[in-house]
Amino acid sequence: MKTEYLLVLAAMLSVPLSVSFHRKLRLYRNWRALVGSIACSTMLFGIWDIIAAKRGHWWFNEEYVLGPTLAGLPVEEWLFFIVLGFVTVFTFEAVNRLSRRT
Amino acid sequence: MEYTFSALISVIVVLVADRLSGIRLAGRLTFWISLGVMYLFMIPVNGYLTARPIVLYASEHQLGLRILTMPVEDFFFGFSAMTTTLLFYEYFKKKQAGQ
Repeated sequence: MKTEYLLVLAAMLSVPLSVSFHRKLRLYRNWRALVGSIACSTMLFGIWDIIAAKRGHWWFNEEYVLGPTLAGLPVEEWLFFIVLGFVTVFTFEAVNRLSRRT
Repeated sequence: MEYTFSALISVIVVLVADRLSGIRLAGRLTFWISLGVMYLFMIPVNGYLTARPIVLYASEHQLGLRILTMPVEDFFFGFSAMTTTLLFYEYFKKKQAGQ
């Protein structure tokens, strides 16, 4: 199924995105830092990914990606870094919030 | 072994950046707990990607050691990607607060 990689990303994002609006977390308050950090890491690791894919470290199964590519990578792979960045910041802030217990 | 080496080097670079930037995530318990939680998330997600497989790997660029279906290198790559995001996040947050 061509949508499979995309569905994995949707599943990965669903719970963290919903919970990020919780009144005790409100991740969007730091949206500048959130967007900035995701953009920077996506760029850096996207470059790594482009080089690694070019050098044949790994590749993507055409059966499970939609087809459009950006700089030689399936769009899903770029989305992966964006989703990973979001989930990482979400987890970190959730853990910080819980550890304060106030 | 290119993936193995680049993944290991990235971990060192990230740890040095963490120290030099003064952000020092490595000294915070919440950082390590977050990473632990993220590695748990990684099992279903990366497990699926590598088991299906949606992502395939060239055996000559890695050790061939897999945790379930995931190459060990992915855990180092993941460490670097997640920590880099958090370093930028802390940096931008501090910058914003300082203004």
